[in-house]
Amino acid sequence: MSTERVAKVFFAEAIARALGEAMARDPRVVILGQDVGRFGGAYREFAGLHARFGDERVRDMPVAEASMVGVGVGAAAAGLRPLVSITYMDFVMLGLDPLVNYGAKLRYKTGGQLTAPVVVKCTAGAKGQGVAHSQSLESWLAGVAGLKVVAPSTPADAYGLMVAALADGGPVVYVDHKRLFPTAGELADAPAPVPIGRAIVRRPGRDVTIATHSYMCRVADAAADRLAADGISCEIVDLRTLWPLDVATVAASVARTGALVTLEEGQLACGIGSEVAFRVREEVGRMRVVRLGAARAPVSGNPRLEAATLPRPDDVAAAVRRLLDAKADER
Amino acid sequence: MDRRALLASMLAIRAFEEALARHPDAGFQLFSSGEEAVAVGVCAALGPHDQLLSSGRSIGPALARGLDPGVVMAELLGRATGPCKGKGGRGHLAQPAAGFFGAHAVVGGNLTIAAGVALAMRMRRTGGIVACIFGDGACGSGALHETLNIAALWKLPLLLVCDDNGWSISTPREAALAARSPADLAAPFGIRAASVDGMDVIAVRDAATALAAHVRGGAGPAFLACDAERFSTHSTATRETRSREAMEAARARCPIRRLAQSMRDEGELREDALATLERDAADAAASALRFAERSPPTDIDEIRRDVD
Repeated sequence: MSTERVAKVFFAEAIARALGEAMARDPRVVILGQDVGRFGGAYREFAGLHARFGDERVRDMPVAEASMVGVGVGAAAAGLRPLVSITYMDFVMLGLDPLVNYGAKLRYKTGGQLTAPVVVKCTAGAKGQGVAHSQSLESWLAGVAGLKVVAPSTPADAYGLMVAALADGGPVVYVDHKRLFPTAGELADAPAPVPIGRAIVRRPGRDVTIATHSYMCRVADAAADRLAADGISCEIVDLRTLWPLDVATVAASVARTGALVTLEEGQLACGIGSEVAFRVREEVGRMRVVRLGAARAPVSGNPRLEAATLPRPDDVAAAVRRLLDAKADER
Repeated sequence: MDRRALLASMLAIRAFEEALARHPDAGFQLFSSGEEAVAVGVCAALGPHDQLLSSGRSIGPALARGLDPGVVMAELLGRATGPCKGKGGRGHLAQPAAGFFGAHAVVGGNLTIAAGVALAMRMRRTGGIVACIFGDGACGSGALHETLNIAALWKLPLLLVCDDNGWSISTPREAALAARSPADLAAPFGIRAASVDGMDVIAVRDAATALAAHVRGGAGPAFLACDAERFSTHSTATRETRSREAMEAARARCPIRRLAQSMRDEGELREDALATLERDAADAAASALRFAERSPPTDIDEIRRDVD
């Protein structure tokens, strides 16, 4: 039994704590981005860091993401360990050239002479802000050789994956979520890093595996509660890292349950779920499988339309029921 | 760097590219011939602690920076002895330990990177500055304007050098840039700028040296525009669109002939000495080629290495 003390912290506090500790440990760690300084970040995830580390290491930048990412990647190549904050993931598109064409390829194209140990943190997910402020684009980035993509769903993982990302040798895209910032969870006094590339069984169950990540873990959990009332037992695997994908943990779960639901907030086409489903299938052979994700439509800021576009707990529960009614491989 | 060294450096680039162009495995290349004075003049203003970045037109900048021609040739021909193990090629040639942080083949793509390198070098107190050579084709890109803005705001130790050969493949600069001169782009940001004849290596060296001193002093970035000519097509895969007359006019501005002529006029170069220097350059290029040809090709297993 652990004697370690834990405290209840909010998601944003966990990020700020990981960054503060890393910056105290390593003078190469700097923060670049929009409103990261005195303002403390859109979600106060950088609160207190400017006061503690000053203008030199916590740098507000113009709203110009190509230079935010480019300066971060270039500084990483030349010996710093920057975290670049892109407020919403939609805007990472403006910085994709330095991230994808330069950072992701730097170690390879220079034959190992240079690396780009940079973390690009961006906030995904829909919360009423409209078609260009609501997207979850992590599957795009997971498809780029040379990038790692992590997406925590709890404060402990927000802390642990941030520590791991800041210590990693290559570009890491750290995807958090608008609807996770108000959530709280336990964080130990001396928390451990969370290794990149390791999924976790968030809720053990017998009948079906739900593989998901980020805010959708909470949607999956709500669905699992409803299904439990009817005697259906869901196992929820939180992927946590989207590349490199921990196929083994999902496959081990599906080997027990025989059924897989993939659930994501992003688009289904070429999505995380497609990749997970196919690779799990390669491991376990026959299984029942269904994918859930956003409807193929932009995510409106109109709350009625937004909710109807994205998977809701009832959608997940209904999909599980249909899946469990079907025979193996019918779907 | 004296005039003889400048001349030898330009001749070395010209001979290297002539040898490479004749090689059956030369592949896809962008040549610097015609634009040697920009690379050589700028590198004459750089010291051992400085870093140079370039566009994908990297052969001139890399050789002018002092990289070994043999390993450069090996990189261009896909050999394991290249500094990038033959994985970067011309478009991504790099040897940071020798002061060449590297080429990047996306037009304008190295500009924000160079600003980041400059930030890191200042924060780490390495004592050097960063120079970034880019083509006039990048002058309309947002990356340049974002770089000018952040470099000026943060007073980054960055010397931006526009190698203005007047063409974005087939599109003339007049059709690609509203500003009259690339150097005009620096003015709104309060960045010190100069425009020089990029075919006059002495003018490039002197202007680059003055601007580099400004940057070294901590006063912030500087911008040098060099009016130059490219002597061949944009790349070995591109059609030439210029008229024969236009090509002849460009070649008439040859920076090598120009420097040699003025050295002869001033008694610094004997009539037969240029031929000797040219022969030396050709020998060095042949030797670089021999080194590359004797080197093993990049191992196929390299596709799995240095990815993550």
